[in-house]
Amino acid sequence: MFSIISSLLATPQGNPENFWLPKQASTVAQSVDFTFNLITWICYFFFALIVIAMLVFMIKYRRKSNDHEIVVTGPTHNTALEVTWTVLPLLLVIVIFIVGMRGYLNLREAPADCYEVQVTGQKWSWTFSHPKFGAIEVGELTVPVGKPVRLLMTSNDVLHSLWIPDFRVKMDVIPGRYTSLWFEALEVGEYLLNCSEYCGTDHSKMFAMVRVIPQEDFDKTLTKLASEYEDMSLGELPAYAINRLYNRCKSCHSLDGSIGTGPSFKGLWDRVSRGDTLFTSGEELSSLLGDATFYGEPENYIRESILNPQAHIVQGYLGSMPSFQGQLKEKQITAFIEMFKNLNEITTAEGEISVNPDGTPRQ
Amino acid sequence: MSTLTTTNSNDNYLNHTKGILSWLCTVDHKRIGIMYLVCVLFAFFLGGVFAMLLRFQLLTPEGMFLTQDQYNQAFTMHGAIMVFLVIIPAVPAALGNFVLPIMLGAKDVAFPKLNLFSWYLWIAGLVFFLLALATGGLDTGWTFYTPYSIDKASSMGGVIPALIGAFILGFSSIFTGMNFIVTIHRLRPKGMTWFRMPLFLWATYATAIIQVLATPVVGITLLLLIVERSMGIGIFDPAMGGDPVLYQHFFWFYSHPAVYIMILPAMGIISELISVHSHRHIFGYKFIAYSSIAIAMFGFIVWGHHMFTSGQSQLMNIIFSLVTFSVSIPSAVKVFNWLATLYKGSISLNTPMIYGLSFIFIFAIGGLTGLHLATLATDIHLHDSYFVVAHFHYVMMGSALIGFLGGIHHWWPKMTGKMYHEGWGRVAAILVFIGFNVTFFSQFMMGSKGMPRRYATYAEMPEFQVYHIWSTAGSVILAIGFVICAIYLLQSCFAGKKAPANPWGGRSLEWQCSSPPPWDNFAEQPEVGDCYDYSVLEWNEEEQGYVWKKDVLHPGEANG
Repeated sequence: MFSIISSLLATPQGNPENFWLPKQASTVAQSVDFTFNLITWICYFFFALIVIAMLVFMIKYRRKSNDHEIVVTGPTHNTALEVTWTVLPLLLVIVIFIVGMRGYLNLREAPADCYEVQVTGQKWSWTFSHPKFGAIEVGELTVPVGKPVRLLMTSNDVLHSLWIPDFRVKMDVIPGRYTSLWFEALEVGEYLLNCSEYCGTDHSKMFAMVRVIPQEDFDKTLTKLASEYEDMSLGELPAYAINRLYNRCKSCHSLDGSIGTGPSFKGLWDRVSRGDTLFTSGEELSSLLGDATFYGEPENYIRESILNPQAHIVQGYLGSMPSFQGQLKEKQITAFIEMFKNLNEITTAEGEISVNPDGTPRQ
Repeated sequence: MSTLTTTNSNDNYLNHTKGILSWLCTVDHKRIGIMYLVCVLFAFFLGGVFAMLLRFQLLTPEGMFLTQDQYNQAFTMHGAIMVFLVIIPAVPAALGNFVLPIMLGAKDVAFPKLNLFSWYLWIAGLVFFLLALATGGLDTGWTFYTPYSIDKASSMGGVIPALIGAFILGFSSIFTGMNFIVTIHRLRPKGMTWFRMPLFLWATYATAIIQVLATPVVGITLLLLIVERSMGIGIFDPAMGGDPVLYQHFFWFYSHPAVYIMILPAMGIISELISVHSHRHIFGYKFIAYSSIAIAMFGFIVWGHHMFTSGQSQLMNIIFSLVTFSVSIPSAVKVFNWLATLYKGSISLNTPMIYGLSFIFIFAIGGLTGLHLATLATDIHLHDSYFVVAHFHYVMMGSALIGFLGGIHHWWPKMTGKMYHEGWGRVAAILVFIGFNVTFFSQFMMGSKGMPRRYATYAEMPEFQVYHIWSTAGSVILAIGFVICAIYLLQSCFAGKKAPANPWGGRSLEWQCSSPPPWDNFAEQPEVGDCYDYSVLEWNEEEQGYVWKKDVLHPGEANG
């Protein structure tokens, strides 16, 4: 009996999107969906039972509009019947509980040989660091297909929650402690990862893309990721920064001039070098630039805005930016500065990125 | 003997004394109930305006007209107003206050002055919430999760006024609950044993127990949060050595039982509506009564199911999942008993009954989808998604609020002494039913497909736009239903037909005093029998209502 039900509800592994659920893209998705379908069919059955009974009674025992006579009929109770409809649902929910518990343990118990990634949630971006390669990714998580991956997660500020709907996994990301989850991707592809615990202004822009790549390419890709900028010339850095580093900034700083939680990057270098930016303190940037001034070179202002963003806050903004002290190598800060200087060459007028990380034009 | 009314029939609680002060200083439970009703409906309007802002913002993936921060404020205010100012007080404080003492044949609640004080506390709570809006806004979500709500750089400036508001509203709720417990214990009339109480009283009694036992916990929690935010004492903020997950335990220890504060009284109303409007003795009285108490009790031990993804231990998740299923049983029992009550009844499809039947339909969906969320394997995926949003709107709005609307229509003739326009009543009830389902059913689908809640924009997931458009369209139908409802109810106050004492053929005591009730309800506390035995009533053409049969004695008159 159970096996018949199982075969009716089970979907083949890697099932595409259906009426209720998105594509199955991880090894646990199949069993989660089985539980979901089992419960959903139980719901259909009881919902039909309740609504059909209600409709039948509504029609059959409907009072005529001018009928005011009160006729007493029908039983006032029936203990056997009532005990039945108490006990039957009880047995049914115990079954659901057990199926759900087994699926859950399956979800939580990571295999022993997981590839490990450390995840940091920070308003409003995800940073993934690969200890094995010394590589850090922002807004993108590269993982091998067909290999269990464990994410060890913490937050730098408030609560976040990491959810990959196609993988059916989710876990809160909490400051001051570690939480973890694991998955094994079934197919090469790109999958959306989002924040599902409310975390403030740009909560709804806190995305990352999970890039699942073939196992044989994985080591090569990650090794390159770890050191690619080290050997780059100054001219190669803007394309690198806009593709690899800008993900961290994009929830607040637009490329098309639109106002976000922070000032747009479009035209930023012009504004900075002109010095006509006003701060909330009332000072103008120009008074801080030039020989024997606070910043001296305009590049120093960019540098401080990344490492100590609260020092000078641009008028009209709240200053919500966290410090990136200790999270960027010197060369990456240089890459940012080069990115600002050359922004027009690497983006379109509409604010779309127009180059690949290696500098070739993007199609 | 056709009626128990003994006072002059022209004198009633509405015209007994006059002037605004006679209302603001009243200790009469009926007037306090009406004052609550007016205020709660005003707050419902406010919360509804925020809801419409949210729905229209989400018509396009990039958002229509709100900034991220404005959206975050709008969903916070929508949630906070609807939970603290509307659904929690709606049924007990507004309808309960009006009906409960009359159902007992009493002249008032046990502590009338405390009752008035509760109302003033509600007003103070509202003022503090408006103050939160004025002092920098509130964007923490109605849950005030830590450390977001502690961090002044993250959350907006109105957190402390809002916390004080919620704290004060907690006391309002506790006092009402205490009042009802004592009233039900001490003021029941002769003949009304516990198992002869109308089921609405069982439901309010169970609710009152939760109000008195659970609300203090959230009060203390909010107080700790105020202390932490204003003085920097580390309790919940990990940066100061605190524990942010501890806050969630404290918060849900109240706020889960609070869900039953919202739904139980509505279930009580439905038990009355279904029985009265089908002139059929309620089926399985004791099972329904016990199930109210069971829901209240189980409700205390399931809070951890709000935290399945919070990192609490696997063992705890498993225990909370198991216990959570226990709530589904008494809920199912109630639904089956209501259906059995319809069996062989004489079902009038009038406005209150349309709300009653809508409740069964909607609560069935809301309750059944709870199974997906109680089950661990599926909840991990569904947690904090629109599936959860849809589920709790089916329970808290589609059920609790529609129960409230049903109750308003059921007792409107009693409260105002006027009949509303039945045709428009039905139109509005059907629009509300359709609008509600269109609005929220689409949210189940986008939730299980991966749409997270509390998103101001969804530019990366444009595939969800079609569901959002459906949802917004539904909310417009819903709003039209509410507007029609408001118009004909107001119209009835001025131009409605005079209501008879007992328009529906109800048997509980409130239908045995005139409409509107006299100032002191009953000259003497009457004796009661079986409040679901309709055989003693008959239709009276002259009164256009039901009256006691001439040849049948009232309880306590035997051999008289």
